[in-house]
Amino acid sequence: MIRKTEEMKDRGGAGAAGTGGSKVRNPGWAGETGDFGHLTEADIRGTNYVGQRPKDGGHPGASCSMPYQLAEKNPEAPLFEGPYRERLEKILSRYPEKRAALLPTLAMAQEIRGYLSPETMEEVARVLDLSPAYVRGVATFYTMYNKRPVGTYLIQVCTNVCCNLCGADEVLKAFLRETGTELGEVSADGLFTVVEAECLGACGFPTVVQINERYYENVTPEDVPAILESIAGAAVEPTEAGRTGGGAGA
Amino acid sequence: MAYPYRHEKETRILSEYFGDPEARTLAGWRERGGYQALEKALGMDRDAVIEEVKNSGLRGRGGAGFPTGVKWSFMPKDDGKPHYLLVNSDESEPGAFKDRELIRWTPHQLIEGALIGAYAIRAQHVYIYMRGEFFEPAQIMARAIEEAYAAGLAGKNILGSGVDIDITLHLGAGAYICGEETALMNSLEGRRGQPRIKPPFPAAVGAFGMPTTINNVETLCSVPHIIKNGAEWYRSFGTEKSPGTKLFNVSGHVVRRGNYELPLGFNLKELIYDVCGGIRDGRKLKAVIPGGSSVPILHADEIDIPLDYESVAKAGSMLGTASVIVMHDGTCILKQVRRIVEFYAHESCGQCTPCREGTEWLARILRRIEAGAGTEEDLDLLLDVGKNMTGTTICVLSDSAAAPVASSIRKFREEYLAHIRHGKCTAAAAA
Amino acid sequence: MANDQTNTVTLTIDGKTVTVPKGTRIIEAAERAGIGIPHYCYHPGLSAPAMCRMCLVEVEGSPKLVPACVTTVADGQVIRTESEKAREARTGVLEFYLVNHPLDCPICDQAGECKLQDYVHQEGRKHGRSIEPKRVFGRDDFGGDILYYGDRCIMCTRCVRFMREIAQDDRLCVVQRGNRSVIDTFFDQGLEGSPWAGNIVDICPVGALVSKDFLHKARAWDLDRTPSICPNCSQGCNIEIHTRDNLVMRLKPRANPEVNSYWMCDYGRHRYEWLNRGAAERDRIETPLVRDAAGELAPVSWQDALVALVDRLKELRGGSPVRAVGSAFHSNEDNGLLARLVAVLGGGEAVYRSAVAAEEVVCPGFPKLARRRDLAANVRGLGIFGFRRVGDEAARGGLEGFAAPGSVLLVLGDDLADQPETFAADAALFVYLGSKLTPAARRADFVLPITSFAEQEGTFTNFEGRVQRFWPALQAAPQARPAWQVLGVILAGLEDAPAPANAAQAFLRLGELYEEFRGLSYEVLGSRGALINEPARLVASVAEVQP
Repeated sequence: MIRKTEEMKDRGGAGAAGTGGSKVRNPGWAGETGDFGHLTEADIRGTNYVGQRPKDGGHPGASCSMPYQLAEKNPEAPLFEGPYRERLEKILSRYPEKRAALLPTLAMAQEIRGYLSPETMEEVARVLDLSPAYVRGVATFYTMYNKRPVGTYLIQVCTNVCCNLCGADEVLKAFLRETGTELGEVSADGLFTVVEAECLGACGFPTVVQINERYYENVTPEDVPAILESIAGAAVEPTEAGRTGGGAGA
Repeated sequence: MAYPYRHEKETRILSEYFGDPEARTLAGWRERGGYQALEKALGMDRDAVIEEVKNSGLRGRGGAGFPTGVKWSFMPKDDGKPHYLLVNSDESEPGAFKDRELIRWTPHQLIEGALIGAYAIRAQHVYIYMRGEFFEPAQIMARAIEEAYAAGLAGKNILGSGVDIDITLHLGAGAYICGEETALMNSLEGRRGQPRIKPPFPAAVGAFGMPTTINNVETLCSVPHIIKNGAEWYRSFGTEKSPGTKLFNVSGHVVRRGNYELPLGFNLKELIYDVCGGIRDGRKLKAVIPGGSSVPILHADEIDIPLDYESVAKAGSMLGTASVIVMHDGTCILKQVRRIVEFYAHESCGQCTPCREGTEWLARILRRIEAGAGTEEDLDLLLDVGKNMTGTTICVLSDSAAAPVASSIRKFREEYLAHIRHGKCTAAAAA
Repeated sequence: MANDQTNTVTLTIDGKTVTVPKGTRIIEAAERAGIGIPHYCYHPGLSAPAMCRMCLVEVEGSPKLVPACVTTVADGQVIRTESEKAREARTGVLEFYLVNHPLDCPICDQAGECKLQDYVHQEGRKHGRSIEPKRVFGRDDFGGDILYYGDRCIMCTRCVRFMREIAQDDRLCVVQRGNRSVIDTFFDQGLEGSPWAGNIVDICPVGALVSKDFLHKARAWDLDRTPSICPNCSQGCNIEIHTRDNLVMRLKPRANPEVNSYWMCDYGRHRYEWLNRGAAERDRIETPLVRDAAGELAPVSWQDALVALVDRLKELRGGSPVRAVGSAFHSNEDNGLLARLVAVLGGGEAVYRSAVAAEEVVCPGFPKLARRRDLAANVRGLGIFGFRRVGDEAARGGLEGFAAPGSVLLVLGDDLADQPETFAADAALFVYLGSKLTPAARRADFVLPITSFAEQEGTFTNFEGRVQRFWPALQAAPQARPAWQVLGVILAGLEDAPAPANAAQAFLRLGELYEEFRGLSYEVLGSRGALINEPARLVASVAEVQP
């Protein structure tokens, strides 16, 4: 059973700092603490160190590193205005060719609008002097660009070998069951989309789940209702089945 | 000190400050001796830095194990062109989770190593290509870069040396293949992440058409320690041909999963049974993949081997990223191999025909066998398809998909046959 | 062994020794040695991505097979394209191509000229081993003339590279990756309006990209292919005319590095129906017609017609102003002899009408190639023969009052469709050499059926003065004759010189008559043509060097 902590509720967008000193098995599902039970979620995730990063991207050297997938999104929002225009200029300043700004610019567009519609791709193409078809070719090569709208929370469950050995299939099932969705579809309330992910590079902490911009580690099927509640609050009523959900593999 | 566990047999050089939040900050890193190596390197001749790394015998930690100093020495000296250092932080090989730990606990260790590397190869710009999913480590890295710029460690005239080195963090967008160095260059340039034909090699024509070196995170994190303590000191760890320490990322069915920094040549059996506390749930070991999902699988009775590049190769597998995936006797090998092959099918860039078509074909055959509709002939077919996928493509993703299939059929043929005869997995259930 | 001074390298391919320039790629060196290395993604007019993996060959000393399309030759290299290793690799790769291929050859336009069919037939496995369900993409309309069958696509990306590198109109891309890769445009954007898109059908090695115009129209093996020159602008793109049952089915570009590389524009490609006009509309002039005593046009034999015509011309020679109308869709031979006839009759005025486009359409990746403003092949030739352009941009008008009272009017190849029935009413003699009897043409005293350029042998002179040959692709209507032949006979009657027996002789005649053609012959032109004045210039330069 997962204890609900205050920082879970408080966590906002990118870089929200967890401040509590909880010593539960998974402080905010940020990893098995192992020998480091004294570490807080903020210690592990480095949120205090990072703080809140500015929308204009901060230092140009770091301006290409903003999140792709936030809960807050607006498909109608303008793309390259205000701080985002500043960020674009900073991004462009870092490469000898305009084309190289394509990935960070697509990321920024998705950060603002939540997905890359044909119109969005066209706008990106225009600002970088590329053809729309070229942009589509690149955008569809990479899995992190959403080519259609996704739920407020995009839940990516790693089912690759290391997580699979440790029960990832059951975790995926639990997320589908608890959100009441089919793989890849948006839940009726618009809150969730659950997809299967390839290796997320945290194999020591199975099962790894990425929800929007952050990782949840060591997730078991039993953790799923509480995780959903922590991110979407009262919107989700955990089911009885979820609490007693299938056992982890290992 | 591994995270989340530590073990007394570890030799903690790169991972010394895992689990120490203070070590993340510039001030904290400096307190712990950080950036002394950079200062020392900037006082050395560039070629002397390359020579030191060459002498240390450091081999690339991204999987191929190519000597880092030799790679650096391929860079032209006075060509007047911009040079680039690319940091390969696209860690996506199933089983590998070491670079993420290095970045999230010791970002300045990487910056320091990258600056030394850039200085040595005459690069004016470092691009840290990090996989897009690593958003949280990227934020830590971003903050560390900002700190480095503010402290005059990056940008113009670093540490008053007259040397200019810019650092840019660049996020990928979800493509395993971008960990391949030429695909990474394409991706950095805003293209589809498809590997390029070699030659030309990156040291001649790399990112943006300029001489480029690409190094793994762990490789560059080793560099400051080598510069600070000398090549001889580094060679005191590990074996003659595989010197130094290495992060062993152990996942799967061990009691204590995690990263353990050990000298190369450490025994695999000892790693699993001692360092990692043995097999979970009191079960028995069945198989081990010693170097990430793309290397041949080892049977439980093949694991009494030293973990260095040569020994693992001699045992018929590869050290790769030293990502040890442990499977106990309740594991259905067919299912896991199928899952690995599906991964490669998903990640194939689609350029070369044998890979584009072969990865998915293998996956379909494996799915059919798993579903109970396999025949014995399918095993020969799997092997032959795998053979036709090997050595016939631009990069080795195709080979990587074929390797686990071939090795698992060779070593667990009975289990495949049981699937074929009974239409379901009997091995996992019987254990 | 090393040929440092000569900048060439010598190597052995399948036991044949070949010497090629440094930097040549293996696949090109092999071609010089007469060895065709199978390939899909490589195309000599495009960059080479080395991704189809068909051209893998064994190079002695190299542990892995190397792609012949990107590997440059080295001196002393020993290459085997037929070794067991190379052959096995090709057989293996070919099987991968068929895992998801629909094998719908019976309904595929490419069958018979399909490289997948060809190579699998040559070295593929007898039976495919995949029993898995196939991936299905279906068909996509790319707009314009192009259909895309994703299931047949082998992902060679020639089309994407053509649009990027040659058309420089980046409207195609590979969407998705891996086994889900498919070629597409930007959603509904399509290829509509691209002047060059038709070339992607030509370079598609399989039946993935097909022409709507040609869809299910003919089987490749039923087509006759005749080398020719595109008549639709003054660029003079080298083409093949593909015919079946004496009908033009399609035009395809033919490689000529001096003119059009491997390409042609869609404007030229799609304007061929007029060559089939007689067959479709049955309005071709079928026999010579001569105005009889009652003033009616009556069919007569060629002999009677020409004897009567020569007699009339002898009567009028020197006494009547001569007026001639030529055609830029007709050959040098036709127009050149018409101009000669004008001279022989005492001289006069020669004009032509030809359509002019508002702008040139340059091929960005091969700027030598453009859809020129002159929308007919032989405008330059007409200029050499002294024809003056009249009329508007649509090749209309300009002939009002042209046939002066009492004049001899000779019209070749211009159907006078815009002219009134009263055309040339005051002429002393009106001779019409054409194929369609328009109201104005009905005024003629002699109506002589002639062949179109596609029905005869001849040459055009393109915008830069390149004289290029074409060959008869269609069988002419039974009574139609090439204009050069008709004019040659008339001239023989007037000049007491032998009539040219064939087009080659007619062409040599031009060399005697016009400075620009001096020294040129069909042999000199070959299949790639030659520039006017070139032989004369060469002779002059040789004379300078060896006084």
